[in-house]
Amino acid sequence: MTFEESIGNAKNAVATLKQAVGRVIVGQSNVVEEVIWGLVAGGHVLLEGAPGLGKTLLVRVLAETLDLRFSRIQFTPDLMPSDVTGTNVLILDPKDRTGGSMFAFQRGPIFGQIVLADEINRATPKTQSALLEAMAEHAVTVAGTRHVLEQPFFVLATENPIEMEGTYTLPEAQLDRFLLKIMVPSPSEDELVEVLSRTTGRAIDTQAKVLTRDGVLSLRALCRDIPVAEPISRYAARLVRASDPTDPSAPPIVKRALRYGAGVRGAQSLILAAKAAALTEGRVNVSFQDIARVAKPALRHRMIRGFEGEADGITTDAIVDALLTHVEARPSNVAREREAAK
Amino acid sequence: MRRRLLLRSSLSGASVGLLAGLAVAGVGWYVHHETLRLVAPALACTGVLVGALAGAKKRWSDDDIALFLDERLDSGEVIATARETENRVQDASNATEAEQSVLQRAAEVLAKADRKKTRARVFRRRELALPALVAGLVFAIRVPLRTIPVAHGEEGKAELKITEIRGLEKVARLSKASARDAAQRDRLDKIAKDAQQLKEDLARGIEKRDAQDRMARIKDALREEKLSLGSGDERSGLDAAAKTLESEDLTKEAGRALGDHDLEKFDDEMEKLANRREKEDREAAKKKLDEAIDAAKRSGSKGVSRALEEEKKKMEAREKRGALLRELAQGLESTEGGSGQDEDKKEAMDQVKERQRAFDQKPDDASAQKLAEAMGKALEKLTPEERKRLADRMRELSKGKKGKQAGDPEGAKDLAEELSTPEGQKELERKLKELAKEDDESEESKRDRNLDEAEDGAKDAEKDLRRHGEGQQGQQGQQGQQGQQGQQGQQGQQGGLAGIPIPGKENGGGGHHEDQGTGDHRGETAEQKAAMLKSRANPKMQRGAANSGTITVFSQGRAGDTANHRGTGDLTTVGPREVDAVERSEVPEEYRDQVRQYFEPK
Repeated sequence: MTFEESIGNAKNAVATLKQAVGRVIVGQSNVVEEVIWGLVAGGHVLLEGAPGLGKTLLVRVLAETLDLRFSRIQFTPDLMPSDVTGTNVLILDPKDRTGGSMFAFQRGPIFGQIVLADEINRATPKTQSALLEAMAEHAVTVAGTRHVLEQPFFVLATENPIEMEGTYTLPEAQLDRFLLKIMVPSPSEDELVEVLSRTTGRAIDTQAKVLTRDGVLSLRALCRDIPVAEPISRYAARLVRASDPTDPSAPPIVKRALRYGAGVRGAQSLILAAKAAALTEGRVNVSFQDIARVAKPALRHRMIRGFEGEADGITTDAIVDALLTHVEARPSNVAREREAAK
Repeated sequence: MRRRLLLRSSLSGASVGLLAGLAVAGVGWYVHHETLRLVAPALACTGVLVGALAGAKKRWSDDDIALFLDERLDSGEVIATARETENRVQDASNATEAEQSVLQRAAEVLAKADRKKTRARVFRRRELALPALVAGLVFAIRVPLRTIPVAHGEEGKAELKITEIRGLEKVARLSKASARDAAQRDRLDKIAKDAQQLKEDLARGIEKRDAQDRMARIKDALREEKLSLGSGDERSGLDAAAKTLESEDLTKEAGRALGDHDLEKFDDEMEKLANRREKEDREAAKKKLDEAIDAAKRSGSKGVSRALEEEKKKMEAREKRGALLRELAQGLESTEGGSGQDEDKKEAMDQVKERQRAFDQKPDDASAQKLAEAMGKALEKLTPEERKRLADRMRELSKGKKGKQAGDPEGAKDLAEELSTPEGQKELERKLKELAKEDDESEESKRDRNLDEAEDGAKDAEKDLRRHGEGQQGQQGQQGQQGQQGQQGQQGQQGGLAGIPIPGKENGGGGHHEDQGTGDHRGETAEQKAAMLKSRANPKMQRGAANSGTITVFSQGRAGDTANHRGTGDLTTVGPREVDAVERSEVPEEYRDQVRQYFEPK
């Protein structure tokens, strides 16, 4: 199969996946698309939205449509790391005729291929860090034994921005581990009507598997092969640098509202997500437009607002918008020519 | 693509250059600087060059062009990616599948591309403005230079019309004045004719500067004429004669007057000497005058010696008259004291005495004439007896005082004879009346006086010119700003210098180094030699305009000329106030040597 054919197949597969998810999830097409970018790019996704917006359902449906092992962890304050990773338990040794016992590793829910970490901010940092370590390393270490997680390993965490009392906000360093942070918006009136129609009748049948484990892995491999031209990489780099309030190229809003900007992981996320976006649309290269499209989900959780930013209610999305306006994608001469052509 | 960008850059540079040139041309037009206007096209050319150079320097790279094409063709940067891939992978067969796909997609995009869309735009607003800028520049270069407003109006060009001008008739009367010789006759006639002509022209109306020029010429000619005796080669004779006269206290003042060319005063001084009571003084004065005549002759100054000889003759005649009057007065005294003297006779005799005293105190011609007049009247009052007594007395005087001082014995004898007969008495009365009316003034003195009067007249006329000029200028000044000046500005563009119209001629040229005109200055105005030009000190210069009111005189520059003082014209001649200033000063005699040494040239 040629690269062109692979790209074509990937595009079709993603379209089928979207279609399958769309049969259950009403609207939220952007959210679905962004989640698929995360899946294809091989990163993890943090979903943030109010309760009842279908975050969990989305993940569950996605898991159903993919031929992957799904597990769900409901994060609570008393959830222990071992509840996530698994633990050694004392069991009767079947080989020992004398009835002796032995420790056997009991895998936790992290050993799924699509892991839903529901309300991740409700667990203690200790438990959160156990998950985040697995997300970064794609392995867990229990009692000195390292257990590699099966690929693909895709964590979808959800976060509830309300009812913040008794929650443990994810540290910025750990948020950085998520490739994308997707904001789940409230449905429109029409979408809500459709939701009501679907959820108050008979239960929907189980979704057919549209993408196998190998399919997902090949998508991820294909995504990594998508070439990126240097001007586009430079654009991503300029965007990230401009988000640093200490950088001379930063726009005024960044200098005023931000304490820290996106780092290297932010730039990596931009490129990876852009590659995924290009792939899902069946294109063989990344464009400036891809970078701009993925900028918000890739950068919004990597910027730490300062006092003024929080006091003035400046969201990181507004800052990303400002960055996209401020940072010119093309070289100045080409940009001028473009303006002249307009 | 690059060619179009280079072309655009050049055109853009040309636009900027033209704009700058237009601004410079505008400034040039405003400040009346032709050279600046000619710089403008050069700036435009420089703009093209700079634009081309800038275009070449900012030449677009392949990557830039690829990005530009991606943008225009909306190809999602596939061309830029392919371009980079191509750079990285020299051989397409070595490219990965993904890279090959990119190259293929890019090729497809370019193959399908509309070529028009891939062209860079050559004409933007700036470039589209080129024709307008070129037209503007041409206009700015060709438009006539701005007429700089003349601050003081067209001073001197205003027309003067004076029907009655004072003084010029005094100058015109010189045609009737006596002349020393034929050459002076011609000169005086010319001065008189010029004055008359000026008077007539002023009545018709002429330019003020022309009137002033002619007036100044007349004044110069008069001044020159005043200095004509003993000028040039005869200067040494005049000096020698003056010095000779100055060497004697008696004739010192006469010598100074002669040295100053003040012939009227010289004549007055000689008159006083001739009428002096003491015969020794008269003789001494005559002797000095003889010496002065000799000195002038030795120096070869015929004119001076001739004038002095005439003065000597006059002196002798005056002396004779004075003596006669004094003798007769003395004789008349003897007729007094008789019985039956009436009041009229007494009064007449008192008047004779009074006039005699006045004549003794101030022995000039006027006093002598008054004495003669009084004597004539007194003689009429005498009875025959008294006349006989007077005749006897006169005979006594002729005998007793023969060869002595104060009197002319021959004259007294003649008088006695005349008085002895009634006819003689009548004749004496007639002579005395003639004496009272006799004109004893020397010809040089008369000429000098006539010239003085003419000079005074010229001064009066000049004042009138100035006064009328100011009055008319006040009225015409405002008109000049609005009316005349506007027209003259139009003419000025053809003439070469705005504000100086040269009728019938094209551009001026060949004058000042900034004069860029191409024509010549030959017009109706007569060609002026540089040596004839003269201007006042501290003129107000105005670019592109005539010097207002500063050029007042067109005359030959002469030796001794300064900005404010008219020179005498000859290197060997100095003005009356330029020598012996210390001697004439009020410095006390005992300090003069020190003062003279102080001012002595080293």
